[in-house]
Amino acid sequence: MITAFAFYAFAAVLIASAAMVVTSRNPVHSVLFLILAFFNAAALFLIAGAEFLAMILVIVYVGAVAVLFLFVVMMLDVDFTRMREGFQRYAPLGAVVGAILFLELAFVIGAWTFAGDAEELRLSPMPAGGVSNAEAIGRILYTDYVYLFQAAGLVLLVAMIGAIVLTLRERPGTRRQDIAAQIGRAGTVNLRAVPSGAGLASLGIERPPSPEEERRPAPVAVGHDGHGGGHH
Amino acid sequence: MSWTLALPEIVLAVAGLAILAGGVLPKRDTFFPASMAVVGALLLTAVLVIGQEEGTAFGGQYVSDSFSSFMKLLTILGGALGLLLALDWNEKEGLGRFEFSVLVLYATLGGMVMVSANDLMTTYLGLELLSLPLYVVAAFNRDDARSSEAGLKYFVLGALASGLLLYGASLIYGFAGSTNFDRLAEALSAGQQASPGLVVGIVFVIAALAFKVSAVPFHMWTPDVYEGAPTPVTAFFAMAPKVAAIALLARVLLGPFGDVAAQWQQIMLLVSMGSMVLGAFAAIGQRNIKRLMAYSSIGHVGYALMGVAVASDEGLRGLLVYMAIYILMNVGTFAVIVAMRRGGRAVEQVDDLAGLGRTDPGTAMWMAVFMFSMAGIPPLAGFFGKLYVFLAAVQGGFWVLATVGVLTSVVSAYYYLRIVKVMYFDQGVGALDRAPASLSVVMAGTGLFNLLFILWPAPILAAAGAAAAALLA
Amino acid sequence: MFVGAVFFPLLGATISGFFGRWIGSRAAQWSSVGCMVLAAVCGALAFAEVAMDSRPATVGLGTWIDVGGFELAWALRYDTLAAVMVAMVTLISTLIHLYSVGYMSHDATPPRFFAYLSLFTFMMLMLVTADNLAQLFFGWEGVGLASYLLIGYWYDRDSANAAAMKAFIVNRVGDFFFMLGVALVFLTFDSIDFSEIFAAVPQHTGDTFLGLNSIELIGVLLFLGACGKSAQLGLHTWLPDAMEGPTPVSALIHAATMVTAGVFLVCRMSPLMEFAPNALTLVTFVGASTALFAATIGCVQNDIKRIIAYSTCSQLGYMFFAAGVGAYQVAMFHLFTHAFFKALLFLGAGSVIHAMSDEQDIRRMGGIWSKIPVTYAVMWIGSLALAGIPFFAGYYSKDAILEAAFAAHSLVGGYAFICGILAAFLTAFYSWRLLILTFHGEPRADEHTMGHIHESPVVMLAPLLLLAVGAVLAGYLFYDFFVGEHEHAFWAGSIVNAAHNHIMHDMHEVPAWVPLAPTVVAVLGIALAYFLYMVAPGLPARLAAAVPALYRFLLNKWYFDELYDRIFVGPARRLAAVFWKIGDVRIIDGMPNGAASLAAGASRGAVRIQTGRVANYAFAMIIGLVFFVSLFMLGLR
Repeated sequence: MITAFAFYAFAAVLIASAAMVVTSRNPVHSVLFLILAFFNAAALFLIAGAEFLAMILVIVYVGAVAVLFLFVVMMLDVDFTRMREGFQRYAPLGAVVGAILFLELAFVIGAWTFAGDAEELRLSPMPAGGVSNAEAIGRILYTDYVYLFQAAGLVLLVAMIGAIVLTLRERPGTRRQDIAAQIGRAGTVNLRAVPSGAGLASLGIERPPSPEEERRPAPVAVGHDGHGGGHH
Repeated sequence: MSWTLALPEIVLAVAGLAILAGGVLPKRDTFFPASMAVVGALLLTAVLVIGQEEGTAFGGQYVSDSFSSFMKLLTILGGALGLLLALDWNEKEGLGRFEFSVLVLYATLGGMVMVSANDLMTTYLGLELLSLPLYVVAAFNRDDARSSEAGLKYFVLGALASGLLLYGASLIYGFAGSTNFDRLAEALSAGQQASPGLVVGIVFVIAALAFKVSAVPFHMWTPDVYEGAPTPVTAFFAMAPKVAAIALLARVLLGPFGDVAAQWQQIMLLVSMGSMVLGAFAAIGQRNIKRLMAYSSIGHVGYALMGVAVASDEGLRGLLVYMAIYILMNVGTFAVIVAMRRGGRAVEQVDDLAGLGRTDPGTAMWMAVFMFSMAGIPPLAGFFGKLYVFLAAVQGGFWVLATVGVLTSVVSAYYYLRIVKVMYFDQGVGALDRAPASLSVVMAGTGLFNLLFILWPAPILAAAGAAAAALLA
Repeated sequence: MFVGAVFFPLLGATISGFFGRWIGSRAAQWSSVGCMVLAAVCGALAFAEVAMDSRPATVGLGTWIDVGGFELAWALRYDTLAAVMVAMVTLISTLIHLYSVGYMSHDATPPRFFAYLSLFTFMMLMLVTADNLAQLFFGWEGVGLASYLLIGYWYDRDSANAAAMKAFIVNRVGDFFFMLGVALVFLTFDSIDFSEIFAAVPQHTGDTFLGLNSIELIGVLLFLGACGKSAQLGLHTWLPDAMEGPTPVSALIHAATMVTAGVFLVCRMSPLMEFAPNALTLVTFVGASTALFAATIGCVQNDIKRIIAYSTCSQLGYMFFAAGVGAYQVAMFHLFTHAFFKALLFLGAGSVIHAMSDEQDIRRMGGIWSKIPVTYAVMWIGSLALAGIPFFAGYYSKDAILEAAFAAHSLVGGYAFICGILAAFLTAFYSWRLLILTFHGEPRADEHTMGHIHESPVVMLAPLLLLAVGAVLAGYLFYDFFVGEHEHAFWAGSIVNAAHNHIMHDMHEVPAWVPLAPTVVAVLGIALAYFLYMVAPGLPARLAAAVPALYRFLLNKWYFDELYDRIFVGPARRLAAVFWKIGDVRIIDGMPNGAASLAAGASRGAVRIQTGRVANYAFAMIIGLVFFVSLFMLGLR
C-alpha cells in the first residue's frame, strides 16, 4: 500500500519534472528540473529494489553530468529566445504528430501481450541467498557480459579521443615545462661565498647560462662576467 | 564460452590501443605511419575474418557465420579504402593527425561488432562504437564551420536515432523477455499473435537503422553532413557504416523477425521506394558533387533495401552483391572527388570537372567508368548489382517495387551521365592538379573491378549465395 | 600450349593497343608479330597432338556464369575440328601479320591496326575453341566487332564507315537468328554445353516447338546465323563492301577465317544437324545457289578485290552445300585449302595494288607481269588452285565436294552438283579474266603510275611464297586425312555422321566422269577467258552491248542492294520517319520532356525540404516514424 503510494507519487513528480525540462523558458530551470527527475527516477529504482542503480544514478547523473550541464548552461551565453523562434510556427503540427504518437503508444500498451515464455526468459533474475545488488551485477558484468562491457569501454575511449581531438589546440607560441631539460641543466644553482657588505653593484648579477651556451664546451666559470648569458 | 571466436574484433581493438599509444609518444607527425599501421591491422583482421569459424560466443551475444564474414570483409574494405583516400588529402588540408586513423579503426570495429551482433544490446553498443568516431571525424576539420556543423548535426540526429533504437529494443524486450536474437526467434515462432508492442518496437529499430543507412524518411542529415565533412570522411560515411547498418538490418529483420515478415515488409517496401525516388530526383539539381553523391547514396541504399524488402533468399543475395559492388564503385568515385584540386585547393563543384577529359584523360576515363557503373549500364559491375535485386523483386512478385527501381535508375542515369558530359564536352576553366599516386591506384583498381566484373562474377556471387543461405538457414 | 595458342594474340593485341604509343610503332608491330609466331607454333603443336595423335583435350579456364541451375565455364575445347581451325587460323594470321608490316608501312597508326588484327585473331580462336554456345557467341560477336573496326580502319573515309556499318548491321540480322537458335537449344536441352547437347540429341528428336520439330528449327536458325557471318545468299551483301578495309584484312577476315565461321558452326553442330534433314536440305540449296550466283557476278566486276570477294562468297557456297549433303569433312577440307589460296590471292592482289599506287580497277591495269614477276607467279598459283586444276590444293577439295554432291543421290544434291559444275566453269573464267586483264595486254594505267611499279618488299613476298607453297601442297598432303582413308581416325568423333549417312563412303564410288568434270569445265573456262581477253579483246565489250540487260543485271549484283533498299531500307526509313515525327518527337520526347520538367520540379521540391535546420530534420524523422507506426496500426485492423 505504502509502496504503491510512493511509486505513484515519485512517478508523477518524475513525469511532471520531465515535462518542465522541456517547457521551462529558463535553461537553468530546465537543468534543475532534470536533476529533480533524476532523483525521482532513483527513488523508483529504490522501490524496485535496485539500490545499486539508484546510487549510480544519483552519483553519476546528478553529481557529475547534470552539474556539468548546469555549468555549461550558465557559462555559455546562449540566446534561447532566438532559438525558440521556429517553435511557435511548428507547434500546432508538432502537437498533432505528438498526439498521434501518444495515442498509438497508449493503444500499444493497452493491447500489450507477452510472449508465452517471456517469464522464464527474463534476463538474470536476482540470485537468491542474500547476495547484494552490487555484487549480483558484478558477478555477471565481468563474466556473461564481458563482451558488452569491453565494447562500452571502447565507446568511452573513442569519446575521449574525440573530445581531445576536437578541442585540444597546440598553439605554436606557448611554452611548456620540460622537466627533464630542467633537471638536466647544469649550473643553474651556484653556491658562492660572498664577502659581506658587497652589493650587486660590485658583484654583478649572476645568471644561469642559456641552453645554447650549455651546448658549447662549458666555459670556465663566468664569475665576474656581468653580462652573463643571453647576449649573443 | 569461446572468446576466441571474436578474435578478429579483439585483435583489432588491441591493435587500435597499440597504435594509439604509439602515436602519442613521438613528437613528430605520425599520421602516415599510424595510417599504415591501421591499414595493416585491418588487413590482418580481414585475414582472421576469413579464417573465422562459425558459431556463437559470449552467451549468444556474438555470432559468426558466412553472412557476418562477408559483411565484415566489406566493412573492413570500406574502412581501409576510406583511410587510403584520406592519406594525401589530410596532409594537404592540415588534418594529418594520427587520431584520425585510430578513429577510423574504431569505427570499423564498431561496424564489425554490429555485423556480428546477435543481441539487441550488442547491436546498440556496436552502433554507438561506430557512430561516435563518425561524429568526430565529420567535425575533424574543426576550423571549418561547415565541418563542425556537419559533425554536430550528425551527432544530434544520431542521438535521436539511438534513442529510438533503445526505445524499440525496450518494447521488444518487454514482449519477449529477452534481447537475444535466437530467443526472440523462438518466442516469435511459437505461432501466437504478435503483440502490437513488438511490431511497434520493430518499427522503432528499423527507424534507427534506417537513419544510419540514410534511407528515406530518415535521410535528412545526409546531404548536409556529406557536404560539410572532409571529403575522405564523406567517402568513409558512404561505405563502412552503410554496410554495417544494412547487414544489421538484414540480420534483425530476416533473422529473429523473419516470422513476422508480413508486419514489417510494407514498411521496408515504402522505405526502399522512397529512397530510390528521392535519390533519383533530388540529385538532379545538385551542383556540389559531394551533395550529389549524398543523394546518390540514398538512392543506392534504396536499391539495396529492395533485397531486404522482398525477404527472400534471392533478395538477400542480391543485397549482398549490391553492397559489394556499391562499395567498389563508390570508393572509386570518391577517389576522383578527393583528387579534385586546383592550385592546391580542394574544389567540389560538378563544373570543376569540366574539360577533365582533355586535361587528365586517365582520371576522366575512370570517372566515366564509375558513373556508367553507378547508372547501371551493362556490362559494368553496377548493372549486375541492380540486376540481381530487380530479379529478386520480380521473382517475389513485387512488380511495383521493381518498376519503381527501373524507372528511378533511368532518372538517376541523367545526373551520372551529366558528369560524363561535363568532363568530356564542357569547356574547362583550367586543369586540375595531378592526382596523387595513392588515389590513382585506388581508381585503377576499383575501375578495373567495375570493368572486369562481368568476366569473373562467380566468386562474389558464390560468396554472397553462401552468406545469404547462412542467414536464412 | 593449348592456352598459349589462344591467348598469345590477345597479349599481342594488348601490347600493341595499349602500349603502342609508348614503345613506338615498330616495336608494337614486331611484338604483335612475335606473339603471333608463338601462337602459330603452339597451334601447330596442338594440331600435331590433337589431330595427328588423336588426343583431344579440354582446358578449363574457370567459371564464367553460375546462376541458379545455369552454369557456364570458360574452356578451350580442343578436338580435331578445333585443332584444324586453330592451326590454320594462327598460321594464316601470322603470315598476314608479317605481310601487314610491309603493307601498312606508309600508314599513320600501324599499332592500332595490329592491335585490331591480333584482337580479331584472339576472338576467332575463342570462337573455334569454344566449349559451349555462349563462348562461341562471345567469339562470334568478337570477330564481328574486330571486323567492324578493321573495315572502318580508315575512318576518315565515308565509304569505309558505311561499309563497316553495313557489315555490322547485316551480321546483326544473322546474329539475331543465331541467338534465337541458342535460346531454343537451351530450351530444348537445358544446357548450351556442346558435350551435353550432343549427348542428348537422340532423346530429343521428337520434341516440338510451336508445332515444329525443335531440332529442325534449331538447325535452320543456326544456319541462318551462319549465313550472316559467311555471307550466304540473302545476307551476302556486306562482304563485297567490306573490301573497303585494308587488303590484309580482306585476306584474313573476309577470305580465310571469319567468313568460314558459319561453315565451322554447321560442322561443329554436325551431331545435331544430322538429325535435321530438312535443315540440311536448306543448307544445300542456299549453299549451291550462292556458289553459282556469286560466280556469275564475279565475271563482270572490275574491282580486283571485289572479284575475289565474290569468289570467296562462291567458295563458301561450296562449303555449305558440302556440309548440307552431310559431308562435313569435305566442307572442312575445302575450308582448309581455300584459306591458303584465297589468302594468297588477296595478298597477291594487295601486292598488285601496292605496286599500282593504290589502283584497284583492273580496267586500268595490264601489261605489268614482267615488272612484278613474283606477284604474277603467285597469282597464277592461287588462280590455278582456285580453279581446281589438278594437283593444286583446290583440285582435291573441290573435286571431293562435287563427288559428295553427286553421291548424295537426292534432288537437291543434283541441283548442287549442277550449280557446282557451272560455278567451277565461271570460277575459272573470272580468275583468268582477272589475271589477263591485270597482268597482260597493253598497259592501261597512266605513265606516272607505270613508272612507279615495283615489286613488293621481302616482308610481303615471304608470306606470299609460303602461302603459295600451301596453295600447291595443302590438298595433296592432307587429302587422306581429311576425306581419304584415314578420315575416320583423323576426325576422331569431332564430326559425326549419323548411321544412315554413308556419304563419306559413297563419294569415292562415283562414276569416273564425275571427278573429271570440274577439271574439264575449268580448262574450258580458262580457254574462254583466254579467247575473249587475249585473242579477241574487243569481243567482251560487244557481248556486253549485245545483251545490256543481262550485263547490267550482273554488274549490279542481281540488284540485291537495290532490292533490299526497296523492301527493307526504304519502308524502314519511312516507318522510322513516322515513328520519329509522331512517336518520337511528340510522344516519346514529349514524355521525357514532360517527365524531365516534372523531375526538375520534384527535385526542387525535394531540395526545398532540406532547410539545414537540425530541428526540422529531427521533426521529419519523427513524422516518418509516426507515419510508419500509423500505417501498421491501420493495417492491424
